[in-house]
Amino acid sequence: MSLNEKKEPKQDALEREVEAAVGEETAGLEPAEAERIRERVRARVLEEVERERRIRTAAERREEERRRREEKRREKYHEEGERFQRFNWNFRFQHMVMFSSVIILIITGMPIKFPDFVLSRYLVALWGGIHNSTLVHRIGAVMLIYFMVHHLVYTVLSRQGRRDFILLIPTPKDLRDAVQNVRHFLGKNPERPRFGRFSYIEKFDYWAVYWGCVIMIGSGLFLWFESITLKWFPKYVLDVAHEMHSDEALLATLAIIIWHFYNVHFNPDRFPGTLMWWHGQISEQEMKEEHPLEYEEIMAKRSKPEAAEVPHR
Amino acid sequence: MRGKFFAALTFIALGIGAQGFWSPADARISLEKCTLCHGKPEFRKILVDGKIRDLFATADSLKGSVHEKKTCVDCHFDVSEIPHRQRPQRVTCTHCHYKGNAEGAPQTDAYLDYFGSVHGTALARGNAKAPLCQDCHGSHQIRKAKDPAATVSRHEVPETCGQCHIEIYAQYKTSIHGVAVSKGIAEAPSCTGCHGEHRIYGHKDPKSTVFPTHVAEQCSTCHSSVSIMSKFGIEAEQVTTYQNSFHGVASKFGSKTVANCASCHGVHDIRPPEDPLSLVNPKNIPATCGKCHPGANPNFALGKMHVDAHKKESGIIYYTAQFFKFLTIGTMLALIAHIFLDMYGRTRRLRGE
Repeated sequence: MSLNEKKEPKQDALEREVEAAVGEETAGLEPAEAERIRERVRARVLEEVERERRIRTAAERREEERRRREEKRREKYHEEGERFQRFNWNFRFQHMVMFSSVIILIITGMPIKFPDFVLSRYLVALWGGIHNSTLVHRIGAVMLIYFMVHHLVYTVLSRQGRRDFILLIPTPKDLRDAVQNVRHFLGKNPERPRFGRFSYIEKFDYWAVYWGCVIMIGSGLFLWFESITLKWFPKYVLDVAHEMHSDEALLATLAIIIWHFYNVHFNPDRFPGTLMWWHGQISEQEMKEEHPLEYEEIMAKRSKPEAAEVPHR
Repeated sequence: MRGKFFAALTFIALGIGAQGFWSPADARISLEKCTLCHGKPEFRKILVDGKIRDLFATADSLKGSVHEKKTCVDCHFDVSEIPHRQRPQRVTCTHCHYKGNAEGAPQTDAYLDYFGSVHGTALARGNAKAPLCQDCHGSHQIRKAKDPAATVSRHEVPETCGQCHIEIYAQYKTSIHGVAVSKGIAEAPSCTGCHGEHRIYGHKDPKSTVFPTHVAEQCSTCHSSVSIMSKFGIEAEQVTTYQNSFHGVASKFGSKTVANCASCHGVHDIRPPEDPLSLVNPKNIPATCGKCHPGANPNFALGKMHVDAHKKESGIIYYTAQFFKFLTIGTMLALIAHIFLDMYGRTRRLRGE
């Protein structure tokens, strides 16, 4: 057993080290007391070493590693405290379907809008020609339509979905928040606006997706089934649909890459990015910072026993 | 020493002079001897299939052609006795026409393109009907292409090609290009305008100027030129509107099935849209579009085809484009301003102001 032989000298060294440390600490105590402490420490250390040895599989080691990191993080930012589940799995899944489809749609669609751009040739060649590229574009379109349907069904049927939808409806407070935020940026107002579950920025993003989906899916379906469209509408309707599809695509792409990415990934608080889209969690610190009203609401609910069944909202 | 040098010079001079004086007259057969027989107006041969081969040739046969100063045997060099016993071979033009020739023929290798062309490869495959140089350029009356009387002049080329491509010639003759060429309009394309001269390839050959993905480029050599198109009252923007349309973009990315100019306007039978026979006449548009879009109906003709969203004449399309233009500019300006204000605010706070 070469493994054990290798371990032996290591273990001896460890024991000597423990001996020395404990000896130093217990120098002032009675010998019997010191012996008792030493015995206990040795047993604890040996147990720890033994446990370490048992962690053999990679999965175990990874799990252990994760636990250690978590502990370290807690030590470092103990003020962060609890992690709140901001987005449930269903919502995150919708978002992932949407952004995958949007990425596919952008990289297959933009070369058609900008055929002379240097990268366009390669983006089309990536799929093996324009015909495959248009096919992939339709696959992306189906994903986006699925997302839209899924989200509408989720909004109607899910309790969380209904609640979020109501919270996402713009209110006069959002306008006041926006003005106050700009004043805050300019240093005219020391107080940051206090946001609820969704800030005006997030509400804008949400409704921009609605607007974008309606325009893009609507005009896209017209263009996809051009023969059927032309059965009922004159040709200039198709031209309008083409123009809308092309222009709204550019607006959506710019808004996502510049605005959305800055607000969620590239701003100095989050740079180089956040994984909230994956785990859906938000730290207590961020919660207090970004959504103070929601945080207070949660805390108020928790303090009431009858509201205990809806925690972590 | 000097005497020997002059003697040598004299000898060389005499030698050169003698060659010049004696050789053509003696070593070759003179024109008069050929016209003894070929100068008779009735000199012809009736072939087995009933066709008549006219063998009449006189001193005037070459008059006005580029070979005016040549004699019969310069080209028919396999005739070494008179009367010749067998039929002379077909004339081989490359005997003189190559780069570096000493006969005074143009110093060009253009003829090499012929061997790779659809005609040259057909010949190499053993197609007896494939044209040789003289089938297009003529045999005795070969003239420069710029000469209006030449068989390969812009005006005459359709007829020359039509000797073999008779159906295409019939289509072309009544097309807008064919009519314009017969009227003598210098800008109008004859066959060679689109297909090339020696480098003619089949339309399925990617080298061809009329390969599906090259058609738009080929048409746009004239149709994108405002100076040419303005003479005939045709809009030059048709090229850019096509290039910006999905058809144009897909064609640019190498799609061979997507519509190019010829798919809608026709190939040899291009006619102005007002012509009821035109493929793009509103009456015929359903059938034309229906080639690719099954079930095309008269709705296809409602609205301009080559539509430019940046022009006010496009109506609702123009206003849609304008709406989105200002929406995009406005939204993005607001969003970017918000981002910069955010960064400005962060910087202030970092500085502790």
